[in-house]
Amino acid sequence: MRKEYKKLMVIGSGPIVIGQAAEFDFSGTQACRSLKEEGYTTVLVNSNPATIQTDQETADSVYIEPLQASLVAKIIEKEGVDGILSGMGGQTALNICSELADSGELERLGVSLIGTQPEAIAMSEDRELFKETMERIGEPVPLSRSVTSIQEAIEAVKMINKYPVLIRPAYTLGGTGGGIAYDEQELVEICARGLAYSRIHQVLIEESVLGWKEYEYEVMRDSKDNCIIVCNMENLDAMGVHTGESIVCAPCLTLSEKDHQRLRTASLKVIKALNIEGGCNVQFAFNPANGDYRLIEVNPRVSRSSALASKATGYPIARVATKVAVGYTLDEIPNRITGTTFAAFEPAIDYVVVKIPRWPFDKFRTVDRHLGTQMKSTGEVMAIGRTFEEAILKGLRSLEIGVKGLDSITMTDEEITEELIHATDKRIFAMGEALRKGWDPEKIADLSKWDIFFVRKLGNIVAMENRIKNGPLTSALLKEAKYMGFSDEKISELTSRPEAEIRKERAASGLVPVYKMVDTCAAEFAAGTPYFYSTYGSSTEVKKDKDKMKVMIIGGGPIRIGQGIEFDYCCVHGVMALQEEGVKAIIINNNPETVSTDYDISDRLYFDPITLEDVLNVIEAEDIDGVIVQYGGQTSVNLAVDLEKALAGTNARVLGTSPDKMDVAEDRRRFSKLMDDLGIKQPRSGTGYSFEEAKEIAESIGYPVLVRPSYVLGGRAMEIVYSTDELKTYVETAVKVSRNHPILIDKYLTEAIEIDVDVVSDGKDVYIGGIMEHIEYAGCHSGDATMVLPPFTLSKEIVDEIVEITNKVALALEVKGLMNLQLAVKSNEIYMIEANPRASRTIPFISKATGIPLAKIGTKIMLGKTLKDFGLSGYKAIDHYAIKASVFPFLKLPGVDSILTPEMKSTGEVMGIDPDFDIACYKALTAAGNKLPMEGGVYITVNDSDKERVLPVAKELLDMGFRIYATKGTSTYLREKGVETTTVFKIDDNMKPNAIGLMREGKINLIINTPSQKSGPVRDGHKMRRLAVELEIPFLTTVQGADAAVGAIKIAKEQNFSVRSMKEFHTL
Amino acid sequence: MAKSYLVLEDGSVFEGEPFGYRETVVGEVVFSTAMSGYQESLTDPSYRGQILIMAYPLVGNYGINDEYSHSDRVHTRGLVVREYCKDPSPMYGGRTLDEFLKSNKVPGISGIDTRDLVIKIRTAGTLKGAITEDPEGIEELIRDLKRRPFPSESDLVGEVSTKLIEKYDFGKDVRIGLLDCGDKSGSLRDLAPRFNVTVFPYDTPADVILEHKVAGIIVSNGPGDPSHPVILNTAARTVADLSSGMPIFGICFGSQVVGVAMGGKTYKMKFGHRGSNQPVKYDGRVFITSQNHGFAVDESSLEGKDLIADQINVNDGTVEGLRHRDLPIFTSQYRQEVSPGPWDTSFLFDRFEKAAKEGRR
Repeated sequence: MRKEYKKLMVIGSGPIVIGQAAEFDFSGTQACRSLKEEGYTTVLVNSNPATIQTDQETADSVYIEPLQASLVAKIIEKEGVDGILSGMGGQTALNICSELADSGELERLGVSLIGTQPEAIAMSEDRELFKETMERIGEPVPLSRSVTSIQEAIEAVKMINKYPVLIRPAYTLGGTGGGIAYDEQELVEICARGLAYSRIHQVLIEESVLGWKEYEYEVMRDSKDNCIIVCNMENLDAMGVHTGESIVCAPCLTLSEKDHQRLRTASLKVIKALNIEGGCNVQFAFNPANGDYRLIEVNPRVSRSSALASKATGYPIARVATKVAVGYTLDEIPNRITGTTFAAFEPAIDYVVVKIPRWPFDKFRTVDRHLGTQMKSTGEVMAIGRTFEEAILKGLRSLEIGVKGLDSITMTDEEITEELIHATDKRIFAMGEALRKGWDPEKIADLSKWDIFFVRKLGNIVAMENRIKNGPLTSALLKEAKYMGFSDEKISELTSRPEAEIRKERAASGLVPVYKMVDTCAAEFAAGTPYFYSTYGSSTEVKKDKDKMKVMIIGGGPIRIGQGIEFDYCCVHGVMALQEEGVKAIIINNNPETVSTDYDISDRLYFDPITLEDVLNVIEAEDIDGVIVQYGGQTSVNLAVDLEKALAGTNARVLGTSPDKMDVAEDRRRFSKLMDDLGIKQPRSGTGYSFEEAKEIAESIGYPVLVRPSYVLGGRAMEIVYSTDELKTYVETAVKVSRNHPILIDKYLTEAIEIDVDVVSDGKDVYIGGIMEHIEYAGCHSGDATMVLPPFTLSKEIVDEIVEITNKVALALEVKGLMNLQLAVKSNEIYMIEANPRASRTIPFISKATGIPLAKIGTKIMLGKTLKDFGLSGYKAIDHYAIKASVFPFLKLPGVDSILTPEMKSTGEVMGIDPDFDIACYKALTAAGNKLPMEGGVYITVNDSDKERVLPVAKELLDMGFRIYATKGTSTYLREKGVETTTVFKIDDNMKPNAIGLMREGKINLIINTPSQKSGPVRDGHKMRRLAVELEIPFLTTVQGADAAVGAIKIAKEQNFSVRSMKEFHTL
Repeated sequence: MAKSYLVLEDGSVFEGEPFGYRETVVGEVVFSTAMSGYQESLTDPSYRGQILIMAYPLVGNYGINDEYSHSDRVHTRGLVVREYCKDPSPMYGGRTLDEFLKSNKVPGISGIDTRDLVIKIRTAGTLKGAITEDPEGIEELIRDLKRRPFPSESDLVGEVSTKLIEKYDFGKDVRIGLLDCGDKSGSLRDLAPRFNVTVFPYDTPADVILEHKVAGIIVSNGPGDPSHPVILNTAARTVADLSSGMPIFGICFGSQVVGVAMGGKTYKMKFGHRGSNQPVKYDGRVFITSQNHGFAVDESSLEGKDLIADQINVNDGTVEGLRHRDLPIFTSQYRQEVSPGPWDTSFLFDRFEKAAKEGRR
């Protein structure tokens, strides 16, 4: 039965980081909707503006504030919250809850945790308690011991009596700081790191179950002790590879019924022992040699896996967990998929689900690509098929890594062997290659520890490739290939025939995909769920109902660096706007973490790859009228031109800005010409089709220049080069330059202020959603830069000119919908850097900051409305500051330099919002995870041109009582100007004291280090930056950033902040 | 490639490929939504006379292992799958489904859009069907299917029940009887840890059972129609006669037999319950159960009788268990402690054990 609460709070998970992605927007949003449905008053707090859950409509009060226990307590007190749904915001929310419980705040405020209790959090997170609990209920766990020092760790290994051992830090995200040690030296190294990351300075030393199979169970339980399993999942990669890094299938495919029941029963025992009312994830290691199993991990909350299980089965775990948390029992909660049954059942599915992680190694070329217990992937794709082959092939082409399936990769036998033993992101392709070379599947399975079942499945794919290659492509063979999941594009590659021709031939013989429903019950009951996937078979379940206009929104695919949750936010808003206009909204997407792939968001959800073939198939199956390509980031924009071509002569068309005009913005040459015509300045630039050409252009423009390949996303492979030598290195290592793949060369504007502008236009009028000024100078990717809305240093004249330029460009490109511009201001001159004819990363940020829902307005304009209909014109002034700060994956990706460059590195963002600039800045920086010190030491080492600018910063710090450390050059300068400093040696001098030693001793709590404008020094400070990342010392690489941080520290020392809901911001 | 056809009485024909034993078979076409446990299902006597469609598209992945068999042979007439695994994971021995069906002389058909088929049966109700490799004979087969009675109209229990009284001593204190409607081995495996067991053929009269001095009787699972005249005159009559004398526990088919014996009526369900995810509400709690039945006790027929339907299916409200108002007689429509399916409900065995021990005292 429902329990009464005055007000319930849902805590979000903050910015997207590796290990905590969009899945918690999905769960938090579901939770809020679920609570609203029950009539509860809700409060939501999250620092991430790019989420659906921070929309004002999601909860009664929404706070975009840093996720810190003290601020959360303020909100609780202000709002009169008496219950917190603890399990919806990942580890971040659980940690805040246990902090509030431990400090007695919960008791003081009279608020209770619902769903997951503090005891359950402790039991699952504190490895020792977990072990005790499992031993009490008779479930086996690996031999282990919790330790708090390296000496104890060495003792623990003696007890376990064999290497390798696993090191797992307590209370961290996504296994941060953990690892596998094969000897004592490695043990010492990893333990030191792990102890540092653990919130309670504790790591677990554990018996290795490397090479065992890994299975996961998603369990639900209610207050009456009713328990069900939503889904089980099999990791294709054996123990040793984090489940977030593993290819996973659902349901388990190689587990016998009896063993399934053993693990199922164990899972139920676990959730009962933890007394969880809601959802829980249980992970097992299973020894294929003898059937032994060990309980590896329990997550007493919804998780990435539960989001996957929800999408894989159609069972909405977060929604049901929420209802259970407020007192309902499973048999009281209707199953909305079938409409006739209840949540008290175990879903039966009749397809294969495959999840594949999406790694950022395409952007971080220097990172160690090996997969282990530390998560490195930023996102994932899910694919559904009626065979494993079909599902895995759909999954691979959903990744958007330039493969059409199980593509060939050139590797020597030695490389393959190495890849099979020590997996990287390429392992599955190495398996394909091994099979092509005729390796025995047994050998591949043995080396990789994959079940041979899956290796043979890949073997079937390779065999089919050969049959197609050898030809002829009879209609029977084509049918077989399509049933196996081969894309037209792949068949085109294998037969050297145009893709369009294959498609035509296929259609002519009636070989078109059918769409099957995801219905939780394997068709046992008739369901009305609008959730489909494509496959080949005898009949389709999609009816071509045409009662209203139908518009499809193309989603953004997997979350990766450069394309994050912001695009999913836009897609969801697009859907809402379509529905508001009485149009049927159809989504195609393949990311299981997101809100857009929640089956009750759109009128119809197609869980499919986003390729031309798959998109066209849905358009045909549904008889779609319009397609929106502006909201799925570069994924959908890249399809625009081809789609328009393919749709010529049909009823369907691309809505909004024409693909040709989009191409003008995307194509540097066409765009440059337009800028010239409009009289808008651009940094001098050119396109080089060979190294020689590039060199000539660079020399004529003058170094430094910004170089990048054409058509890229998130500044991939973008660099500033300062000399011909560097240009040569770039061309040789980063990109291949050729006739078809030219590189773009732009003059790099030093010390220029960078501006982002987002607009919505109907082709006649333009509304500027926001003008954002970057804190860092141009040269730092706009996805990484700290941005301020509204501009905080620009004169009115400059702002007016920006408005004018923006209007000109929007009208010239006949933008219908959204567009983003990036501009630079130097010496009062404005330069156009680029135009993106689509929704940008900053759309949700601006919409939250101004209260104007740009993505919705853009959608309605694409349907034919005008800005006048909304009464919008010019640009909206706001009386507060909203600051966007980025979060970076440096901690989890050793090998990535933490310096900010034109290449985007951040995974997510937060918003700090306040009427006071410095407070907004403090909120943004702390929400982004910077531990701004209130006292202690600051290390300053800046290049010559920054010395003058850093002086006031240093003075301010000194006045606040900080001790200043500096290397000789900076120190001398500062002293001359009257700032007392302690001189330390350069790191390369190998003398003490130096920064490294002082950092380790805890004497340095903030670092200001600007690299000199030559590329060498980028590497110089690397060691220090790496250590700063590991020790979590805020590290500022620009003087502007330092200035902002110092302002933030000052204000934080002076006053206590208040919290303010979004409603309060927008109604004041 | 050889072709095989699944033919239904409504005239629809699905083309696939043959595997297992090569023969034309006829049966009642039913589907199961269980995602694993194919071997357990195939060897479950309740599937006697039926052609089983596996809703899950990949079947046979982990091979066949003697440990998992529910009885000594395959009882289904045929098996329909989307895809069967020719090369199973070696983890459980690596014997294939194909070999297993061959050695049991049961044909299979693969390459069928089984979801399409499930939807057909869900909509039309259980249909008679056949698997054949002879395209010429299809028309004749359809005519024959229309004419032919459902397998459940014959005495299926008689085909599978034990013929002789058998005594099993497991070194326990209490001896109970098992009235075998066709699932002797599965039941024995579950009873062995608790009781010594005497197995009686389904048509054993009550006085014979009484002579054997058992402390209680379990009416086992089995195939077919519980209201078949043969059952009414044998197992149901025996149960009625024993009802005042000892604790009785009816399982699955046995539950329906108890229902009929105590005056209730049964009916044929549209397409039955087959799978391992059926939610049953009992005493305020929900249990996930494994089921395989095409008939059910009609709750309204219990009005004015001594039986109460105390367990109900959460999905469709059908009767899942019965309890006598006064006597230690109870039933469950789902399986207890047997694969395939969850092991959530072994407490009913505890209750029977208690009743049997008390009765003995």
